[in-house]
Amino acid sequence: MGKKQRKKIVLPPELPPEVSEDEIEVSDEDLQFVNENRDYAGFVSNLDTKSITRHVSRVADVKEDALEFLYEKRLRKKSLEKESEQKGLEVDRVDALPVKTLDGKLVYRTVPKISQHSENVTGGDQDIGDNEADGVDKSLVKLTKPEKRAKLKRMKKEAKKQAKEVENEEVQQTPQAVVLAEVEKELTALEANERKKYKLAELGTALLTDPESNIKSLKEMLQISKDGDHAIAVLGLKSLLAVFKDIIPGYRIRLPTEKEQEMVVSKVVKKMRYYESTLLSTYKGYLQRLIALEQQASFQLVAIRCICTLLDSVPHFNYRESLLAAVIKNISSADDVVRKLCCATVKSLFINEGKHGGEAIVEAVQLIAEHVKVYDCQLHPDSIEVFMSLSFDEDIGRTEMSKADNKFKNKKNKKRKNSEEPSQENDKKKSRKELMSKTRDEVLTPETVNADFKAASLTQDIMERRRMQTETLSAVFQTFFRILKHAMQSIAARSEGISSSSAGASGGHPLLAPCLNGIGKFSHLIDLDFMGDLISYLRKLSGGGSSSDGSSENFLKQLTVSERLRCCIVAFKVMRNNLDALNVDLQDFFVQLYSIILEYRPGRDQGEVLAEALKIMLCDDRQHDMQRAAAFIKRLATFSLCFGSAESMAALVTVKHLLQKNFKCRNLLENDAGGGSVSGPIAKYQPYASDPNLSGALASVLWELNLLSKHYHPTVSTLASTISMLSTAQNQVYHSNVSPQQAFMELSLEHEPFDLKVDIEKPNHKRRRGSGSSVANSSGTNPGITDWTDEDTVRKRLSEHFSLIHDISENKRLRGELDRTTWSLQLYEQYKKQKKTKQNGSKPLKMK
Amino acid sequence: MRPLDESETTQVFEKMFKFTGNNLKNIVDNPSHEGPEPNPGRYCFRLQKNRVYYVSESLVKRATNIKRDNLVSLGTQIGKFTKGGKFHLSIQGLNLLAANAKHKVWLKPTSEMSFLYGNHVLKGGLGRITENIVPQDGVVVFSMADVPLGFGIAAKSTHDCRKMDPNGIVVLHQSDIGEYLRMEDDL
Repeated sequence: MGKKQRKKIVLPPELPPEVSEDEIEVSDEDLQFVNENRDYAGFVSNLDTKSITRHVSRVADVKEDALEFLYEKRLRKKSLEKESEQKGLEVDRVDALPVKTLDGKLVYRTVPKISQHSENVTGGDQDIGDNEADGVDKSLVKLTKPEKRAKLKRMKKEAKKQAKEVENEEVQQTPQAVVLAEVEKELTALEANERKKYKLAELGTALLTDPESNIKSLKEMLQISKDGDHAIAVLGLKSLLAVFKDIIPGYRIRLPTEKEQEMVVSKVVKKMRYYESTLLSTYKGYLQRLIALEQQASFQLVAIRCICTLLDSVPHFNYRESLLAAVIKNISSADDVVRKLCCATVKSLFINEGKHGGEAIVEAVQLIAEHVKVYDCQLHPDSIEVFMSLSFDEDIGRTEMSKADNKFKNKKNKKRKNSEEPSQENDKKKSRKELMSKTRDEVLTPETVNADFKAASLTQDIMERRRMQTETLSAVFQTFFRILKHAMQSIAARSEGISSSSAGASGGHPLLAPCLNGIGKFSHLIDLDFMGDLISYLRKLSGGGSSSDGSSENFLKQLTVSERLRCCIVAFKVMRNNLDALNVDLQDFFVQLYSIILEYRPGRDQGEVLAEALKIMLCDDRQHDMQRAAAFIKRLATFSLCFGSAESMAALVTVKHLLQKNFKCRNLLENDAGGGSVSGPIAKYQPYASDPNLSGALASVLWELNLLSKHYHPTVSTLASTISMLSTAQNQVYHSNVSPQQAFMELSLEHEPFDLKVDIEKPNHKRRRGSGSSVANSSGTNPGITDWTDEDTVRKRLSEHFSLIHDISENKRLRGELDRTTWSLQLYEQYKKQKKTKQNGSKPLKMK
Repeated sequence: MRPLDESETTQVFEKMFKFTGNNLKNIVDNPSHEGPEPNPGRYCFRLQKNRVYYVSESLVKRATNIKRDNLVSLGTQIGKFTKGGKFHLSIQGLNLLAANAKHKVWLKPTSEMSFLYGNHVLKGGLGRITENIVPQDGVVVFSMADVPLGFGIAAKSTHDCRKMDPNGIVVLHQSDIGEYLRMEDDL
């Protein structure tokens, strides 16, 4: 108390009127102080609190510094209040479980408290709308004594009233009233919902039109979004999202420290600070709300969508970490929509580096790495596939390198000068020259200094970016290697027979395929030191490695063919990207590919992967052993006999490529199962050999080509026949520029219509032969279309034919009928005649 | 001429295993088509005057007719035991090793000659190299056209080869086909 008093004395205009005279207990110290400084403490005696409040409430009358002080104090109070509010919210959320009402609404204990706060605030707001200063002071100036008393009285009265009402209700509780009350409640609820909706709209538009002055209504919106009603809450969240997306500034808000708050600042700055702090606190509240709602099933989609949109649009803003955490947590969600949303957000985060300066990328990648670690690599492949949209700028390093080079050159120049110096010391002429050069250097210095300065400022940025990139890369590769290692470990566990059932339950390795793709993409960035381990892992995964028979069988069961193929591809990519200087022969992977080709099944495995493997391993590699090439040629030709046209096309393209490169392998095309010295040490073809070098394929003949030239697919058959002509058409070294992948893609695209055509064609041929001349006019180059028209004409003609036959038979029947009637008529006439003649005959007889 | 005893066999196989790895099985199991017998026999190792020969069984049977002193050579020589009792591979067995080699090195055409004069293989002369070579492994040296030129011992692993300077030794020379001219009398 005493402290306060002193303060008042020091700063007279800032006398808060809330303390009544009775309550103040003046200490001796104070008294002494006042007595000593009677000069400027004298006015305290004749202070009129009411007038002061009146004065203070009118801005014009108050002194500048007083006003400022008031503002500052108010701000401090506000922030205190906010803090307490947040604390209250957090504590209560944890402490008290929400109460579920009969309607199914969740009521948190904090809600009423906060609403009180917000009501106070909103009350202040409305005042602000009228007269800002006035409102500010009202919120600051606490109730005076009489007002307090009045309020107390009012409260007492209200309590009494309520008690009476309760009594009344208890007395008059009849079923009718209850029903009525319920109906009324529903109606009011509906109305309230409508009102809330309108209010949301109003507040939103107001905020969008003038965010600075209406910033306080954010809190109100946040309050509405905490509404019990689902629809209203969703609407609130969405409108808040729209508002935040629009008004969040393009920088990160840093709240002023206490020191800064104490400093005297201008009005504009204060306003700005207030705006920012309100925005930030509301944003925080909104995020907390979102993250809390994200746990609830009914709100999950909305919450996730809001989070994703926020992260996508304002990745630079405060509290990005919590947004990121929420997104990464859901990146492998079982719900397709949620997962897609999260993945798309992370991807856009990776692509739009400029929005947030790369920090978010580092955080996101590290979070994903952590996520993978926690879930022990059992996630949806999408969560790793996002890494594919990362891009690493190699030029960052390069520019610096070039700069270093320049520096080095400069040094060299200097060195040269230095070395020249001693020899020229005696020569005056040359020393003058030197002077000249020195002066020239001095002339140059301002420029160079500028350049240096620039370089320094740039390099700092570059250094920062490099650091971030290295961190990102290390996290990415950490994830990749963890996945590889995990796959390895599970395989090892299985091959040992330990916990085979549990490993079986965990299933395959969902992350392996995208991980391998990622390694393939970023293989040029891998440190050389990791290379050995990486390759050995890949070798083991692709099925080679330890090569004891039992374990290799386990490998086969463990990984799918496409995954093993991918391993081979990645190994080759890694080698190619890093070791252009040294040509390393990946023998083990060739052995693997050789056996994988046999295990390939068209429906089950991915043909594209096989085609890619053929391309990378067999077509792109410059050198091959003759034996190995021959073995692959033979196996691929056999392979293409039994599989679909697309696969066999890819295989044949590879065969052609290999034959064109390896002259000696064209012995395979000769019709002589030669063997002998050409075929090397193995005199006989061994189709079951696992090592291509030991298969002795040179001793065999490519009889498969002859069969393939009768292939049902025209492209395959023509290619097969051209390959079989390769040996006779000498010196025509035309290299096919079609890769196996392209061939595969073309034919697999063509697959569908081709099958259809075949289906249509065959029955038509039969009919044509059967019906002979009736369908003579189908001289179609395009059988598909004409055949359809044929069918129509045939149908027409047939119907004509049958109607004619029908007509004829009808005609016959009618004619027969006619004949019969005419005949009966004739008979009748004859009978008549006979009768007549009889009568005539008798008559004349009688007459006679 | 006699079969190898226990210690000799292990010595020979150990040496060959360095070069061929698991393919050593192929060398031992290789069916021979020599001789008039309808069903193919096997190859076996025979010792004659400190030299080890890789001979088909049918040939061994026929060679028993010849007195040990008069028998100069039979089958393919793959190496010899030194006076100290160590086993050395010789160049005649190159084809056998090359067909079953585990680790290979291909030489650039420019450095073939140097190797054939008995020099070590330098990094600069390396055309290609098999992945996963460990130091002290046996390596068969090929020309780029896949003609076996000789063999040696790896001095550096494949991994280390990447960072070496061009003058570093990759493969230590043991034997090359130049020996047919240089050491005609000794072979």
